Amino acid sequence: MDKESLRERGILSHFDFRRKTVWAGYSVMIVLLAALSATMIYPFLVTIFNAFKTREDIYTFPPTLWPKEWVWSNLGEGFQFIDLSRYMLNTFAIYAGSTLVAVVCIGLAAFSLSHLHIPFRKGFTLFFMCTLMIPSATYMIPNYLNLQELGLLNTYWAFWLPSAANAFWILLLKSFFDGIHKELFEAARMDGASELRCFLQMALPLSYPILATILIFGFTAAWNEWFWAGLVISSPDKYPIATAVYKYVLSGESNNIQVNVKFAILTLVMVPPLLMFAFLQKYIIRGVNLSSVKG
Amino acid sequence: MKSAYSASPPLTAGKVRSKSKLYFWGLVFLLPEIVIFCVFLWKPIVMGIYYSLHDINFVKGNTFVGLQNYIEMIRDDSFFTAIRNTLWFIFLGLAIGYWVPAVAAIAISELRRFKSTARLIVYLPNIVPAVALYGVWKWLFEPIGPLNNFLSVFGLDPVMWLTDKSMSMFSIVLMNTWHHFGATALIYLAAVMSIPKDLYEAAEIDGAGVFQRIRYITLPSIRMIFVLMLIMQLISNSQSYEPQLAMTGADRMRRQRRICCSSSTMPSNRSRSARRRPWASCCSWR
Repeated sequence: MDKESLRERGILSHFDFRRKTVWAGYSVMIVLLAALSATMIYPFLVTIFNAFKTREDIYTFPPTLWPKEWVWSNLGEGFQFIDLSRYMLNTFAIYAGSTLVAVVCIGLAAFSLSHLHIPFRKGFTLFFMCTLMIPSATYMIPNYLNLQELGLLNTYWAFWLPSAANAFWILLLKSFFDGIHKELFEAARMDGASELRCFLQMALPLSYPILATILIFGFTAAWNEWFWAGLVISSPDKYPIATAVYKYVLSGESNNIQVNVKFAILTLVMVPPLLMFAFLQKYIIRGVNLSSVKG
Repeated sequence: MKSAYSASPPLTAGKVRSKSKLYFWGLVFLLPEIVIFCVFLWKPIVMGIYYSLHDINFVKGNTFVGLQNYIEMIRDDSFFTAIRNTLWFIFLGLAIGYWVPAVAAIAISELRRFKSTARLIVYLPNIVPAVALYGVWKWLFEPIGPLNNFLSVFGLDPVMWLTDKSMSMFSIVLMNTWHHFGATALIYLAAVMSIPKDLYEAAEIDGAGVFQRIRYITLPSIRMIFVLMLIMQLISNSQSYEPQLAMTGADRMRRQRRICCSSSTMPSNRSRSARRRPWASCCSWR
């Protein structure tokens, strides 16, 4: 056997490439993929470069990508236009609290469903999983009225507590816990560990890959949520960043923002998720695949 | 354990005690989650059905009106407009967006180099926060924006992407596809990559061409993902609502009102808070 045939193949083998039509088709495919990648990246570049242009530069037709002169003051003006750092802190407060509540409550429940003795296990599972079937849009108003009744409107508790009401994450964590051997916990109990200790010191550390996924997706959700947050929170100094940007920069409640400053703010909003992606892409891509397999 | 050693009469009592001991921790661990589900998920769901059968009046109190709210809703013309628009939106979403991730995934799986780079690039749009997405795409859709400039290179007339009534839904589908297809493509890609290569080898020896291999091996192997993604897309598109609001604004929204807007007003059709917030519907977590 020659070396070539030992190489890994896909749908196409190296024999196919001896045919001219396959070659041509493959090249066309490469070109199309390159074009696709370009369209994926182009809006990012537009945003980032527009953040450093002058206003006239942005509105020149035909539009150019590269700034004629770099204007660095846009970023600073963006920070001044709305109190970005404050809104970012708000978002982090929402994120931290909801993740804590979610991981503790969902983790305990998933651990119980997976490894502890409980009666009516099927019934409890059904109780949680049924909610996956009900589209959230259908109970949006009752949900709002419910929060109002509980007096949680305009507080972060309205995000922290309901964050644990997430059947999908129970499903993810439970299926991960199912993969941990029961003998491990038996041995720990034999040595006198309490169930709480089994959960905190064994189950949680062992499931760090799925926890990382949940932390990342929780962050994305907190960073993205503008609509519901805009309903629940009524005092502007408590807005999370997405709501603030939507209300003050996008929706036209204030038309006096300059377009280059607007792009500077959009760039600043994009930076944290981009950084997160740069450092944690391994977990993100694993999470995407996990959610498809289990969901 | 202990009950096994005790004599027969107290055995039942011992059994009960040991059983409660056996179940104690399991139930304690479940308790917070059950409470949260009841208060924040099941209660709103049940109350939605309850409200839908009542005339909600914050001053006088609620009165039972049976199916009257539903009848009123069906009589409302905008309800059917909304259904028609929703179906059209779903159709556009399938026609434009459904096949893209699968094709991209098969193409990427055939790359000899830069496979992981392509994977990252394709996923990149997913991490753009929604508000940034709307801001950027509003600019791309501007009458003198980059998209029209791109069209003019080919000698095409500029398109009013967001203000033209027939185009606006198409534009939103385009934006949605750009934003979300990467995650779906990764799922397809994982499935395509896990197909055993021997199958292709065997098919090739039997004389199957490239397209036959794709048609008879690749596509059937990822059939389940196709079905799954179809369901996911149908669900998310039929509920999609935020991009329409953000991109075209509330006044335009009314014209291309879609089912979820009116369906969300449905449960508490007469409640004042619902009237003020007819758009109160969104996917809280995806």
